Amino acid sequence: MDNDRIIKLLKEICSTPEPEEKKAFFQGLEDQGLISRRPVVINHGDFLLRQFFYVGKWIWLLSAVLLLCIMGICYGNTGNYPFALTPLLAVEILVETGRSSRWKMAELEYTARFSLRSVMLARIFLVGIVETAGLLVVIWVVRPWFSYSLIRVFLYMMVPYLAASLLGSVYERKNRSDNNWGSIIICFLSSGLFAAAPYYLSSLYEERFTVIWTVVFILLVFSLVVSMRRWICELEEAVWN
Amino acid sequence: MELIADRITKQYKNKIAVDRMSFTLTKGVTGLLGANGAGKTTLMRLLCGVLAPDSGTVSCDGMSVGTEEYRDILGYLPQDFGFYPEFSGKDFLLYMSAVKGLTKKDAIQKTKELIELVGLGDSAGKKVRTYSGGMRQRLGIAQALLNDPQILIMDEPTAGLDPQERIRFRELISGLGKNKIVLLSTHIVSDLEHIADRLMIMKDGQLRWQGNRSAGGEDLEAFYISQIGEKR
Repeated sequence: MDNDRIIKLLKEICSTPEPEEKKAFFQGLEDQGLISRRPVVINHGDFLLRQFFYVGKWIWLLSAVLLLCIMGICYGNTGNYPFALTPLLAVEILVETGRSSRWKMAELEYTARFSLRSVMLARIFLVGIVETAGLLVVIWVVRPWFSYSLIRVFLYMMVPYLAASLLGSVYERKNRSDNNWGSIIICFLSSGLFAAAPYYLSSLYEERFTVIWTVVFILLVFSLVVSMRRWICELEEAVWN
Repeated sequence: MELIADRITKQYKNKIAVDRMSFTLTKGVTGLLGANGAGKTTLMRLLCGVLAPDSGTVSCDGMSVGTEEYRDILGYLPQDFGFYPEFSGKDFLLYMSAVKGLTKKDAIQKTKELIELVGLGDSAGKKVRTYSGGMRQRLGIAQALLNDPQILIMDEPTAGLDPQERIRFRELISGLGKNKIVLLSTHIVSDLEHIADRLMIMKDGQLRWQGNRSAGGEDLEAFYISQIGEKR
């Protein structure tokens, strides 16, 4: 008999049986007043879905307007500066994350079941995912208007967006305030820098640098995840201390 | 059910806001009295898990403060809170229901009940930014009750309420205190005169006195002043 078979048999013999009357047991405890818990609570998936409707409507509107602007400016332009508009999309995520403390809702959200962390994570995830999806559609639509391959258009648009998101999130984590002006300025500065780059560093957009853009893209994704994670972890204690 | 604070301390730079406080809260209404700056709000935040103590522990029936299961049985009304500007009173309660994990059906049901309970039935659809201070406070009280909490902590709940609203609030709290741990802080002694079962008196971050309300005698204000060592 081989090891795998022995392990499988031992698992079957030693495994704990499923409780048969678990529900009735806990109901009995509740009936006796020994435990008192609210019976039904929503799961994280339902929570995420419901948060979708609580993201500020102007966030969705501004995102749509920006994406349409990017598309419009790309149309008929052969230059590289339309790519520099994507950092402005990061403004919405950063502004949305400051909404709880700006409107003094953070303390209430913090003491609720799903807590401030979950609220923040849900908003970042929802706005981020919708914007990224929108940007991917824009990239696919505008690609024929450029002489670059799809992957290059993708990199030229995503790198500025991710760079602004990263710098903005680091700024917000280190300089906590009720407004988001600092990170908004960072996004506009990033946009300006990437708009100027084609004029001063035009060689960056040559095909031979695609590998560099790819490496930068991967590094930015990784750094952004790490930065956001740290931000969320520090968020609650930081709000009150 | 017991909420136990064991030698909790919280210090801000050079000021000790809460200094080695120990007490046990059981079902009933406990009033926390203290002048402004005595450390009441810091203590309440420590009990809710909003602040982490520098030392000491807070727990309830084995549940540590700040855990999901603890927050599940907690209702909290902060001293200073706001609202998202686009919310009506009803929207606000529905939003808080979602954050508190109530199902959509329960959220609608509870919102309807609580809006009536706090007397905001006619204004439920109006934007919160048009509410008066008293109406906002009542909405805050309603959100604290959404999840049918076993522990209800209210920081200066009567602030901004007019005399009629105060009476209504007292009646509500008296009813709730029968099967919940209710802790409410105030610097107005008369708020607690008829509803508190127990009292805690704080000064300079320390617990000066705790005991049954009846031990405070008929003139609660005189008793409070004698405990904090100030002349009338």
